[in-house]
Amino acid sequence: MSGPDDLTTDGRPARLAVTGPLRVELRRGTAPATALVMFGAGVWMLAAHPEDWGGRWSGLASYLRVSMLVLCALMVAAGAWQAGRERRRRMAEMLDSTPRPAWQPLVVAWLAVSLAGTAGLLLAFAGAAVLVGRVATYAGGGWWWTIVVGLLGLWAATAFGVLIGRTVPLRVAAPIAGLFTYVGLAIPGYLEGSGWNWLSPLHDNLLAGLRLPEGLHLLQAGWFVALTGTLLALAARMRMAALVCGVLAVAVAVPLGTGPGRHRLPAEPGAAEPVCTTTGPEVCVARMNAFLLDEVAPITQPVLLRLTGIPGAPTRAADEFTQRADAAPGRVVDPADSPRWLRDGTLWLSLDGQPTAFGTGLARPDWLRSQFSQLVYPRCDYQRGDPDQRIYRTTSVADDWLFGSEAPPEGAVPLPDDIQARSLARLHALPVDRQRVWFGAYLAAASRCDVPRLIGLWEELW
Amino acid sequence: MTVGTDIGLTVNVSGLRVGYGRRVVLDGLDLALTPGVHGLLGPNGAGKTTLIRVLATVARPERGRVRLLDGDVTDRAALRRIRRRLGYLPQDFGFYPRFTVREFVEYFAWLRELPRAEVPLAVDRALDRVGLLDRADDRMKHLSGGMLRRAGIAQAIVNDPRLLLLDEPTAGLDPEQRVEFRALLRELGVDACVLVSTHLVEDVGTACSRVSLLDGGRLAFTGTTEELVAAGVDGGSGDSPIERGYTAVLRGARAERP
Repeated sequence: MSGPDDLTTDGRPARLAVTGPLRVELRRGTAPATALVMFGAGVWMLAAHPEDWGGRWSGLASYLRVSMLVLCALMVAAGAWQAGRERRRRMAEMLDSTPRPAWQPLVVAWLAVSLAGTAGLLLAFAGAAVLVGRVATYAGGGWWWTIVVGLLGLWAATAFGVLIGRTVPLRVAAPIAGLFTYVGLAIPGYLEGSGWNWLSPLHDNLLAGLRLPEGLHLLQAGWFVALTGTLLALAARMRMAALVCGVLAVAVAVPLGTGPGRHRLPAEPGAAEPVCTTTGPEVCVARMNAFLLDEVAPITQPVLLRLTGIPGAPTRAADEFTQRADAAPGRVVDPADSPRWLRDGTLWLSLDGQPTAFGTGLARPDWLRSQFSQLVYPRCDYQRGDPDQRIYRTTSVADDWLFGSEAPPEGAVPLPDDIQARSLARLHALPVDRQRVWFGAYLAAASRCDVPRLIGLWEELW
Repeated sequence: MTVGTDIGLTVNVSGLRVGYGRRVVLDGLDLALTPGVHGLLGPNGAGKTTLIRVLATVARPERGRVRLLDGDVTDRAALRRIRRRLGYLPQDFGFYPRFTVREFVEYFAWLRELPRAEVPLAVDRALDRVGLLDRADDRMKHLSGGMLRRAGIAQAIVNDPRLLLLDEPTAGLDPEQRVEFRALLRELGVDACVLVSTHLVEDVGTACSRVSLLDGGRLAFTGTTEELVAAGVDGGSGDSPIERGYTAVLRGARAERP
């Protein structure tokens, strides 16, 4: 319904028609700088931790939410700077004499900064998406919801900046507001597992591969929209609109905050489905990590081959995320309750942090090897004093043997103080069957923390 | 002086009182303006800018009635209608330096709620009137002081206002530009009520048909330019007849004040 004040001088309705001023704001306001900064920040964030998003759509979406710590702070600063422009440029007097309601230019300015920041950010992430798209092996799971809701959070951050810029008549308000946002967003990290964390646009990267219910996404989207409305209405000094939006925001925030936290979320079954090698000792990875199989297998299969037939040694290796594929419908898996690394003849590997930006190779192959090294560590709880050095050396020899470290060349004389090398050489000098018997005995002793036996095994090589 | 009827009046102010804190700037001011070019004169601190700000609807009166374009400024619905037909250039006006001149004026056309289809023509016309059409695509930050002032005038007239309020509009203009500006004022004053606050008495003498003189927050004189000139025939000081009229009226008003 339009009243007489909604009519222009010629009697036609005063349409919002924001495209003209929006286009100008996009070109001449804070928007271009915001787009550039957000693009740079996006690239910087992506370059900082490619292992968190490489090859996985859900990882990329999740990483966008990780990046919110920096990105929201920047958008708050940009919104505050844009909103403070009228004061800095001494425009308030002229603007106040115009008929257009104050909220309209304010919304146009907010929209311009939000759009520009989003465009800059999406451009950076689009580059990453091209890299992910080349190798990704699982595209399901509604990961795009995570991005959409994250962007709404970003727009709410801009609205917060606009409110600050309108309220605080200082140039330093923009950088200080950004800094406070950075610190403020980090605080929910201390509310580990709380549903109230969903009120923050920031998530951690452990969300990759988890199934976030659509209802949760919708509630989050509703929260950010209502929050944006509240902040903009406050900035435009529209008390009634701010009250209505504020009530809506609270109405959405309560079920979000009192609902389950991140740790109670189930895995996306398709993402966790195992994909295994077809030749050699079995190595399985979750479907979302399947692009890593060709990189993981060459490292793990030789070790598994070496362990074949040794009592107590694993016969297969699998991505620990695949365990979640077996979760019954509706069952929730608590990542904090991480799986034992060796169970039922399977060595459970964590592939977190292994993808690379281009999806080729592993970011930290040494981490993968170190997970095998867990096999040889004695399960001892040294309460006091240092353990016998011979146990350390035995462990080291077992570790070297496991990874097939070469014995010193035949005929070479080890240095007198290179005790460990000589021990390894002696182990290698044994027939292969005897080597495997020694290693099997070592594994049994290590798993029981049988110190005399571990020392005995050392002395067998000495 | 109390104005009893609004017929034909663009501005009708009665009993206006405005203050900043305990300092009263305008007190019991009555003013009625019709279409034409009106000069607003007065010494520093007389309340000229405050009066212009009240008429521009950016300052609120403490007391009194302000009717503009047949609407009361305290009526919110009427206020929006008034503002659509209002043009305003403050004395110390700001601008967005990265905007081009055209974008700046377009932006104000939008703020003044011009129908979208009319904006391009209205902007070109306003820029043409102030002689900035050839600089329309220059950034505001690249304009000289005089050009900035003209761009400010362009934003004020883009909506063809019925009431145009200009506070010290000729500051920064060179003599040739001032001559052109006076011609523009006369052209605008044919249909609209143009109120020009200025210290330059000769601008008033050549461009304005009527003059109001403020002193100490009160109206010391209102009448035609010729009447102001006539007031200086028997006294007053100054280099021109209108300056002598100005000083004579001021002295007379101050002498009458208790």
